Amino acid sequence: MKEQQAYYTLRSLPGILILLLLFLIPIAVVFSYALSDNASALINTISDSYTYRIILFTVTEAGLSALIAVIVAFPFAYIFSKYTFPGRKVIMTLSALSFTIPTILVVLGFVIWYGNNGLLNTLLMRISGSKEPVLEILYSFKAIILAHVYLNFPIAFLLITEAWTASSDVAEKASYTLGKSIRRTFFSVTLPSIKGSVISAFILIFLFCFSSFAIIMVLGGNPSYTTLETEIYRRARISGDTAGGASLSLISFAITGILLLASGYGRAKIKTERKTRKLIKGRGKTLFAIYLCVIVMLLFLLPPLLSILYRAFFTKNGVFTLRAWEEILGGGFGLISTAMEGIVMSFVIAFLASAAAIILASSMAMLSARKNSRLMPFLATLPMAAGSVTLGLGFSMLAAYIPHSSTIVSYLLVFLAHLIIVLPFSIRTITPGARTISPTLSLASYTLGASMGKTMRRVEMPLLRPYIKKAFAFSFALSLGEVNATLTLSDGHITTLPILIYRLIGSYDYQGAAALGTILLAEALIVFAIGEKGGNNGIS
Amino acid sequence: MAYLEIQDITKEYDNFTLSASFSVEEGEFLCIIGPSGSGKSTLLSLIEGLDTPTSGSIILDGKDITSERIQDRNIGIVFQDFTLFPSMNVEKNIEYGMKTEKKADRKRFASNLLKLVGLEGYEKRAVTSLSGGEAQRVQLARALAAEPKMLLLDEPLSALDPPLRKSIRSAIRSIHDTLGITMLYVTHDREEAFTISDSILIMHDGKAVAKGNAEELYRHPESLFTAFFTGEGTAIPAYLVYENTDGYLFFRPEDAVLSEEPLDPELYPMHVIFNDLEVVSEAFMGSGYLLGMEYQGYPMLSLSHTKPRKKHVSLMILAASMQNIAQ
Repeated sequence: MKEQQAYYTLRSLPGILILLLLFLIPIAVVFSYALSDNASALINTISDSYTYRIILFTVTEAGLSALIAVIVAFPFAYIFSKYTFPGRKVIMTLSALSFTIPTILVVLGFVIWYGNNGLLNTLLMRISGSKEPVLEILYSFKAIILAHVYLNFPIAFLLITEAWTASSDVAEKASYTLGKSIRRTFFSVTLPSIKGSVISAFILIFLFCFSSFAIIMVLGGNPSYTTLETEIYRRARISGDTAGGASLSLISFAITGILLLASGYGRAKIKTERKTRKLIKGRGKTLFAIYLCVIVMLLFLLPPLLSILYRAFFTKNGVFTLRAWEEILGGGFGLISTAMEGIVMSFVIAFLASAAAIILASSMAMLSARKNSRLMPFLATLPMAAGSVTLGLGFSMLAAYIPHSSTIVSYLLVFLAHLIIVLPFSIRTITPGARTISPTLSLASYTLGASMGKTMRRVEMPLLRPYIKKAFAFSFALSLGEVNATLTLSDGHITTLPILIYRLIGSYDYQGAAALGTILLAEALIVFAIGEKGGNNGIS
Repeated sequence: MAYLEIQDITKEYDNFTLSASFSVEEGEFLCIIGPSGSGKSTLLSLIEGLDTPTSGSIILDGKDITSERIQDRNIGIVFQDFTLFPSMNVEKNIEYGMKTEKKADRKRFASNLLKLVGLEGYEKRAVTSLSGGEAQRVQLARALAAEPKMLLLDEPLSALDPPLRKSIRSAIRSIHDTLGITMLYVTHDREEAFTISDSILIMHDGKAVAKGNAEELYRHPESLFTAFFTGEGTAIPAYLVYENTDGYLFFRPEDAVLSEEPLDPELYPMHVIFNDLEVVSEAFMGSGYLLGMEYQGYPMLSLSHTKPRKKHVSLMILAASMQNIAQ
């Protein structure tokens, strides 16, 4: 209906405008640096063989991380989509938590757990009686891959398990009745039916790892492990080569843009089957084997996070202390003295950015669903393609044009940068929800004399609420854990929780970092619980 | 002037054009029937305002509503799909479109409507817990709560089981008779249209081809399409019976009396006689046998109480019950 589309277009205009402005202005500033002086910086970057080494390394680490994450996830997905057992749902929910765990916590957890003087090594040294660290993982290529797999394995596990559970097993049974073996059936029947989700899991993880920042900066620990994102940051913020950083941004934007477009168009449509798989109840030996697998999974996933909690209250030598907490509450000097400001500002920015994002995204998602438009997904892809470091760089360059001494302006810029980063995720989370609302439902409301506004308020929004809640939780977590853009944009005035943790790790104050990490973890958990509580509404 | 006037309305699509002209009296129960894709639902959506016509006008109660917004038309509709608002319970759904703001009035009205549709005490139920039949009854109550000038029903029962369908359709008819509201009811089920309606509009290929009451349309169809769409029958070229006559002769199976002996036309001057028909099929219909026969290469149907013992039989049809149809 034209009138309805006009209504949603009108309501979406502020969102579209903000999305475009917040994306175009910083990007234009970045690109103007890359293209100034007859594009000499860009030409230099393109003709520099080092650029290609960085690109190659970025693609390698992202490809390898995604591949390993998917391969590791496969056997677990098999178990979880074949058997039902007590605790299955809890593990699935826990895995979904990884979507809201800030990367900086993974970095911190890895440093505390896997570090040469970390908890795992201390434990192993005590057991083996060795005086040297038993496992040397950190500050190497394998640490990067391990952290990426750690962070993204649950995504692959969840996506594949969901698709596998939702696919009907009738075709498999038909294959068995035709005398085909389990192996042959798996490759000819099962795999093709879940191929789409395996590929989209791979692409998603690849893109995450392609723009990985904190993990490379801290856990790589070696300048030879440089990705496009970290190199942009280094050039622009450390070496002062703004034009060089801007040129790399342009190249990164082009590559990610092509990848995103390719993944968008190549994605297989997920068919919803009428019958889903009936899960077998795990019993006896099978149940024992299942729990063994679950324990292995938990032993991989939990220790780094739990070690953050431990280190927040215990010194390296295992002595209980509340030092870090006292410092946070005002008794400290240096970095930690800004902790309260960081906690409050992170919360305020995350709250405002995600509130603004869901308000703008709801109308945009409805428009996108009703018009079945390709424009909105495309617009929402743009900031993702640009990457948060580039956006942060753009905002920091913009800040240079605005003469300001007040920290409020700096925080305002951080808020805007976060908004443009979380807005696309909100749109992407709410749009599938908007698509589930049958247009006839809205028409039914109009036939009862209700206005467009009343229909949106009373019929559409309540149905969208679970998705809006999820989008809010997701955006909140994303903003709360944002390091890339904030660090690039930060001029020393700005203190957010993850930035502070990042700096504390850099100054080896693990105790302080762990205490703040605990707070960040608690916030992430609360937000996750709120998002999960949204659940699914009974939409038929 | 009629209550609803559809004046030369057309709606053009790339490969389909709808055109219709008809009128409906106040309080009339009109069924719109036709095969799939004949334009029944399109016609309804034009009247409702879900879609705009290419040309023509719609007059309701003396007022041209052709370009009015859906919200302002005050025409209720019951959709085939589940369109209850899942975020509200049964009572809230019904109260949604009510015009009165007084809480007590709204509650009483909702409870009366629920009583009317046979769902007393369902106020607080979640709409997602309703069965298909219950959901349609609530949709009906919700549409009536807005006190519409007219009610449209778009195949409201097609997703339900046959026994349930029967009970709800008689409920709909009795609600019509109680309230005296004008109803337009789209269905593809001939039997449903016959039993429930005051009059029937037949749609074919985007055109309204016939309008009348069920008996008129069944007994005196004006076209072969109407004849076959309203029931079983036989059409043979008229010249087989009457010399120099164009068109077709049409008769219903129940009007064709079977004889196992050859009949002498001289003895039955009021009848048309066909001798030496070959029985090619027999289908037991409960009330009798529907016999498929062949006469000089033309298929004929007859409803017989008994199963013929012979392969070759005769038929006699009262000449007055045969329709001469041009095309």
